Amino acid sequence: MARYGMALDYKSCINCKACESACKEENGILLGADKHRIWVGVPEMEGIFPNLSIGSSSYAPSQCQQCDNAPCQEVCPTNATYYDDNGVVRVNPEQCILCTYCMQACPYDARYIDDRTMTVDKCNFCSDTRLINGETTTACQATCPTKVRIFGDLDDPNSEISQVLRDREHYSLKTHLGTKPKLYYLT
Amino acid sequence: MKTEISRRRFLQGSAALTVVAVSGAATALIEKEEHDKVASFGLRKTQWSDKLTEVPTLCEMCVNKCAAIARVEDGVITKLNPNPLFPKSRNMLCARGNAGIQALEDPDRLKYPLIRVGKRGEGKFKRVTWDEAYEHIKNKMVKILDEEKDNRSTIGYCAGEGMAEHTYVSFMQDKIGSSNFVNHATICLTTTIAGYTLTLGGYGQADLENAEYVIMAGANRAEAIVTPDTMDMFKRTKGRGAKLVVIDPRFTNTASHADKWLPIEVGTDLAFVLALTHVAISEGLYNKKFTQENMSDFEAYKKHILDKNYTPEWAEKITGIKANEIREVARDFMAHAPRSIYYQGRRTAWSFQDFQVRRAQAIFTAMGGGVDKKGGILFGKKLELGKHEIPSPSYFNAEPRIEKDKAAVVGTSGSWIAWRNTIIDGTAPYPVRAFFAYKQNPMLSVPNTSKTRQMLEKMDLVVVIDTMPSDTVMMADVVLPESHYLEREDPVKTFGGSEPSIALRKKVVDAKYDTKPVIEMMRELGEKLAKPLFEISKKYDEELQELIEDAQDEGGEEKVYKQEGYDLAEGYKHSQETINHHMVTSVYGEEAWKTLREKGIFYPDMDKYFKKKSVNTYQYYPEHKKSYSVIKGELDVEPYHDTCVDTKEIGVLKKEFRTATSKIACALYNLEKKKGVDAMPTWREELYTPTPQGRFRFITGRHGQFTQSGTSNNALLLDLMDENYLWINKRVAQEKGINFGDNIEVKSSIGAIQIKAYPTEKIGPNVVFFIHGFGAESSELTLAHHKGANDNMIIEDHYEKSFGSAAMHETIVDIRRV
Amino acid sequence: MNLNNILPYKKQTLKSFFSFEFTTANVVMFLVSIALVTAMFYGIGVYLAEGHHAYGVTRDHAWGLLIAMYVFFVVSSTGLCIMSSIGHVFNIEAFKIIGKRAIVGAIIMILVGFSVIAFEIGHPVRMVIYNILTPGLTSAIWWMGTLYGMYLFFIILEFFFLNNNNHKYSTIFGLAGLVVGLAAHSNLGAVFGFLVARPFANGPFFPLYFILSAMVTGSYLLFLMYGWRYKMKFPPEVETFLYTLAKVLGLLLAVLIFFEIWRMLTAIYGNMPERADVAMHTLTSANFLVGEVLLGMLIPFAIIIYSKGKAAKALVYASITGMVGIFWMRYDLVHDTQLAHMMPLKIKEYAVTTPFVEYTPTLVEWMISLGALGLAVMMYYAADKFFDLDHKSEESH
Repeated sequence: MARYGMALDYKSCINCKACESACKEENGILLGADKHRIWVGVPEMEGIFPNLSIGSSSYAPSQCQQCDNAPCQEVCPTNATYYDDNGVVRVNPEQCILCTYCMQACPYDARYIDDRTMTVDKCNFCSDTRLINGETTTACQATCPTKVRIFGDLDDPNSEISQVLRDREHYSLKTHLGTKPKLYYLT
Repeated sequence: MKTEISRRRFLQGSAALTVVAVSGAATALIEKEEHDKVASFGLRKTQWSDKLTEVPTLCEMCVNKCAAIARVEDGVITKLNPNPLFPKSRNMLCARGNAGIQALEDPDRLKYPLIRVGKRGEGKFKRVTWDEAYEHIKNKMVKILDEEKDNRSTIGYCAGEGMAEHTYVSFMQDKIGSSNFVNHATICLTTTIAGYTLTLGGYGQADLENAEYVIMAGANRAEAIVTPDTMDMFKRTKGRGAKLVVIDPRFTNTASHADKWLPIEVGTDLAFVLALTHVAISEGLYNKKFTQENMSDFEAYKKHILDKNYTPEWAEKITGIKANEIREVARDFMAHAPRSIYYQGRRTAWSFQDFQVRRAQAIFTAMGGGVDKKGGILFGKKLELGKHEIPSPSYFNAEPRIEKDKAAVVGTSGSWIAWRNTIIDGTAPYPVRAFFAYKQNPMLSVPNTSKTRQMLEKMDLVVVIDTMPSDTVMMADVVLPESHYLEREDPVKTFGGSEPSIALRKKVVDAKYDTKPVIEMMRELGEKLAKPLFEISKKYDEELQELIEDAQDEGGEEKVYKQEGYDLAEGYKHSQETINHHMVTSVYGEEAWKTLREKGIFYPDMDKYFKKKSVNTYQYYPEHKKSYSVIKGELDVEPYHDTCVDTKEIGVLKKEFRTATSKIACALYNLEKKKGVDAMPTWREELYTPTPQGRFRFITGRHGQFTQSGTSNNALLLDLMDENYLWINKRVAQEKGINFGDNIEVKSSIGAIQIKAYPTEKIGPNVVFFIHGFGAESSELTLAHHKGANDNMIIEDHYEKSFGSAAMHETIVDIRRV
Repeated sequence: MNLNNILPYKKQTLKSFFSFEFTTANVVMFLVSIALVTAMFYGIGVYLAEGHHAYGVTRDHAWGLLIAMYVFFVVSSTGLCIMSSIGHVFNIEAFKIIGKRAIVGAIIMILVGFSVIAFEIGHPVRMVIYNILTPGLTSAIWWMGTLYGMYLFFIILEFFFLNNNNHKYSTIFGLAGLVVGLAAHSNLGAVFGFLVARPFANGPFFPLYFILSAMVTGSYLLFLMYGWRYKMKFPPEVETFLYTLAKVLGLLLAVLIFFEIWRMLTAIYGNMPERADVAMHTLTSANFLVGEVLLGMLIPFAIIIYSKGKAAKALVYASITGMVGIFWMRYDLVHDTQLAHMMPLKIKEYAVTTPFVEYTPTLVEWMISLGALGLAVMMYYAADKFFDLDHKSEESH
C-alpha cells in the first residue's frame, strides 16, 4: 500500500491549462466552468504599467490537496468520503447524499457536483483510471508541457517525490488548518 | 453507444441513483436549452475493458505535431495521452491536444461534400456525392481553362500548414500547374525564416535546453506553444538556469517567466537590436575570434553601426526602453555567450522593417558565437526519408505569379496580401478565376477580411477543403470535407534538430462521416480532370502539340500523356500507408517501419538510447550523440594557451555555413543591388509611424488554448475561455469610463468591430490588443458563431516590401464605448 | 379499536374542517396560505425537473436559501419546545398555559423544516439508509439529523401524552425532547461551528447562538400564536403569561445583542483574513443592519423597554418584524459562512474577481422557502381543528 502525494514545481507553470483539459478527458468530467477537479490559479497582476511585478505573476496550479486529515472526510455524514488504501481521499457515489457539507468544509474549493450521478466528486489521483491499472501517474502529470507535477509514493523513501521533498524547500497550502495536505509546492 | 437521456432524468435528485456515473452511458448527451451546449460530449472515463487498444498518432490541433497515444475503447477514443518517445514533444500534450476528441466529435463538422445553392456567402448548400462535387469542379475548370487558353495560373490556391499540405500543393502546383500559390508564410513567419536563413544559412532551432540567456521579442512561447522550445524554456526560468528577457508591448504569460520584461513601442524592435549591437561593438563585448573566422563583412557592419550612431540613447527615444536597460541586456547577453540566443520567433508579420529586425537579431546572436553550438542556435540533423516522385507536366501557357513584382522577393508561396489585392485592384496581368483553399481560413486569417471577401466573390469557382464549416467554407461553391486527423494516415514526416526522429500520424478511428483524406481527393479529382484538361492543353499548348507530333511514331498522344505526367492521378494512386511504407523501408528497412507503426516514432538506435530518467524526463539521445554542432569546419586553436585568453575563444572552428559566402552574412550586397533591400540592417525612419496621441496601435496575438481560428468551435477549450476581450490599459479605460465587460467599438481605416473590454495594467496606454481567431461569422459554427471579434476586420492590409509579408501591427485604431 | 381512545381528537366533517369565520384576517390568511403552498408545489415541480440548476447555488456557494429556511424552521421548532418546557417541564407557573399549542407548533415546524431540506439534499432516501448503515460519527450533520429524528419522536410522544392528560409521561418525554432538541440544535450550530475552513463560522459561537436565538424565536412565535388565537383580546391568564414572556424576551434579546456585539468586535479586531473582512462585509450589509438588527432585535427590544413589557399587542406586531429579522439571521449565517473565496486565485480567464462570493436566490428557491410558511400555517390550522390546543386551567395541578 502506498501513500500517494504530489509535488508541484509550480514555477514552471505557464498557465496553458493542459492539466485541466487532460483531467476532464481522463475522468469524463462534464463541461461547465464550475465542473473541474483541478485548475491553474492566476494571481492579480501587481504594479502599474510599465512597472509590473513579475514576481507577483507566478501561476498556481491547484486541486484537491489529498489531506491526511481531510475536513471533507470528517464532516461526511454517511462516510461516502473515505481514505482508500493508498491514502487517497475518494468519494463513493453510491453513498453520497449530496448534502454538500464537504464542499463547505473543504478549505481548497476542490469539490464539485457531478450532474450525472448528482453526487459530489473530486480529484482521486486518477485512482480508477490509472492507478487501478498499474500506471503510477496521473493524467495531469503526464500531459503537462513543462512538467510541473511529480506524482509518487511518499512512503517509499526512494521515490522521486520523497527525494525531491528531502532535497528542496517546499510549502503546502493552509497547513495552519491542520489538514496535512499531500500536495507540496516546490520553491 | 450514444443514448439520449433527458435532462430531467439526469438531474433529478434521487432518480439519478439508477444512472451509474462512470459507465459507458457517460457518452449520453445532455441538452441544455439555455447554454445550447452538449455538456458531456467526448468526455468519458476509460473502462479498461479488453477491447481497449492504444494507437500512436500525431496531433493536429496546431502546427507542432506532438506525438500522442490514443486510448481507444470499442471504437471510441476515450483519451489522448502524450507519447513519451518523441524528442520534439517531450512527452506532453497541451490543452488543445487533449481537446482533439472534441474536435473529432464536433457535431458541426463538415460531414459530406456540398455544393452551394444560394448566393455566394449566404451559406446555403446541398449535399452531393463526391462524384457530383468533382464533376462540378471539372466543368468549371474546363470552361475557365478553355477561356484562358490553358493558362494554368488562372487557378489560384492557398493552404494552411499541415502534414497533408504537400500532397495538396504538389497536385495544384505540379499537376494542375498553377504558379499562383499562397500559403500561410507571409501572414506568419516569412521574415524570420528569410532573415535567419540569409544570415546564418538556416532558421535553426534555438537550443533552449542549454541556453543561459534568451531574449524573446514578441515570441510568446508560453501561449503560442512551440515544441520543444516551450517545454525547454520554462523549466529553466525564474532563476533555474536560464535568464529570460521578454520584449513585448504587453505582459504575456511568457513575461511572467521573465527576469526582465521590457515593454517596447510597437514596431521599434529594429532600433532595440541595433542599439544592443552598438553596445556590443563599442564596448568590444563580442566574440572576436568567432566573428573573425565566421562572419563576412563584419568590419563593414561594425562601421555601419558606429557611423549611424545607433546608441542606446538613440534607441531609448524610439523604443521607450531605457538606455541603461539596453546596455545591461547587451552586456549580459555577451557575458553568457555563446549560450545566448536572440530567439528567432515565428509569426513575425508585424511591421515594415521585420526582415531587417530578424537579420539584426541573427547577426547579434552570431556576434556572441552562439550559432551551431550547444546553447545557441542549432541546425541539427535530419533523418532522410525515401523519395516519393510525382511526375509533373510542364505547361507552356502557365504564366508566372500575378504579384511577383509587388515585393523585392516573392517566393513560390507568394505574398498573401499582395496577391489578393492584385486580384481585386485589377492590376493583375491576367485574371485568376478559380480559388482552392485547403485547411486555411483566409476570411479570418488574412488582414482585411472585406478584401478577402471581395476576392472570393470575383472567382468563378471556389473550392474549400476543410473539416469545419469556417467562414471561408461559407464562401465556397464546392466544399470537400477532409477526414479529421484522427481518422486518417498522413505522409510520414521527419523532424530535424539536435535529436532528430521520424514520426507517423496513423489513423486511429474510422471516418465517422463521408469524408476523405486529401490524397484520396487528389486521386479522384485527378482522375476526373486529367483527360478533359489534357484536351485543353492539346488545344492551346504549342509545346505539347510538338511533343505529341515528335512522339507520333511511338504511341503519340497516349505516350506523352503517360510519360509527361498528364495523368493527374498518378502519384496519388497508392494508399498513404503504402507510400509511407516505401519512404521508410527504402532507407531504414522493415524493422524501422514496424517500430514506427507500433510506437509512432522511429530513429536509429532508439531502443538503445531511449531511457526514462525520472517520472517526467526521458533521454532520447545520450549527450554525446546529440547533434549540437553539425557544420564542418577546420579547428583553429590558439597555439599558446595563457590565462589572458578567454576560454570561449579557444577552439573556435572556421565553419562552412550554408550561406552564399559560407560565412554568416553581415551584409547582403546582392540583395541590395538587385532588389533594393538594405544590405545591412538600417533603421528607416520613413517606415515607422509613431502612434498619434490619443489613438491606439492595434496588436494581435495568440492564446495557449486556441490555434488561430481552427479551434474556435471546440467545446472543451471554450470552457476554459469563452471569447476574446480587448486589452486596454486600466488607467486609460478609467479615463474613458470603460469598465470590464463594456462593449467597445474598435475602428480602423478599413472597418470596425465590437468587443468586450478587459482593462489591465498588462498593456501600455497607447496599445490595444485582442486574441486572434475569434469572431466567426459562419452560423454553422454553433459555438464560435459571433463569439468575440475578428481582428482581421480591422487590421489594415499593409505588407513589407522585401518579402511581401503582412505588417499586422501597423494599424492605428480609435475606440469608444457603445 | 377506536383511535379516539388512544389519541383523543375532535371529529370533523369535510364541511366543518373547511369552515371558518369569514373575518378579513382569516380570509387573507386563507388566501395567502393557499397561494404560498401553490407556489411551493410549483417550485418543487421545477426542482424535480431541473435539480439544483433551478437554484442559484454554485460551487462556491453550495448552500442557499433552502438551507437557511431549514434552519429557520428547526430553530422555530426548538424554540417552541424550549419555551413550552419552561412551563410543563420546569413548572414555571406563568408558562404552564403554553403546553400543547407550542408542542404542536414545534412538531409542525420541524416537519416543515424537514420537507424543505428534502428538496435541498440530493438524495434524502439514501440519506436515511446510509445514516444507519455507515454513520459518519465525526459529522455534525449526522448528529444533527439523528438527534432531530429522535427529537421529533420524543415531542410527538410528548404531545400524545399531553393530549391524553398523562402528565408523568408528557413530562418525561418533554424533558427527553428538550435535552435531545438542545443537543440537536446546538449540533446544527456546530454544522457551521466545526468548519475550520471558514474562520467566520468556526468556533463555539454558533452552537450557543443557536440555542439563544431559538428561545428568542420561540418567544416571537408564542406572541404570534396567542395573538392570532385570541384576536388580541387576551384573557387575564394569557395576559399575565404574555407580560412574563415579554420580560423573558427582553432579557433574551439583551443577551443576544450582547453576543452579537462581541462576535463582531472579536471578528473584526486584528484584521484576520477571511474573518475580519467577512465580518465587516456583514456589518455593513442591509441584511444585517436592517434585517437582523433593526427588525429582529431593536424594534421588539425597544417596545419591551418602552412599555416595560406591558404592551402585549404591540409585541405581537413586533413579533412579525422579529420573525422577519430571524429569517435574515438564518439567511445571513448561511450566506456569511460562504462569503470568503476559498481559493481566490481560481478565476476563469477574462473574469473579474468579486471580493466576496455572490449568491442570489432564484424564484424557485423563494417559492419553496416562503411557500413552506403556507404549509406551516395550514398544518397549524388542521391541528387546531383536530385537537384542543387550549390550556384548561383545571388540567393543571
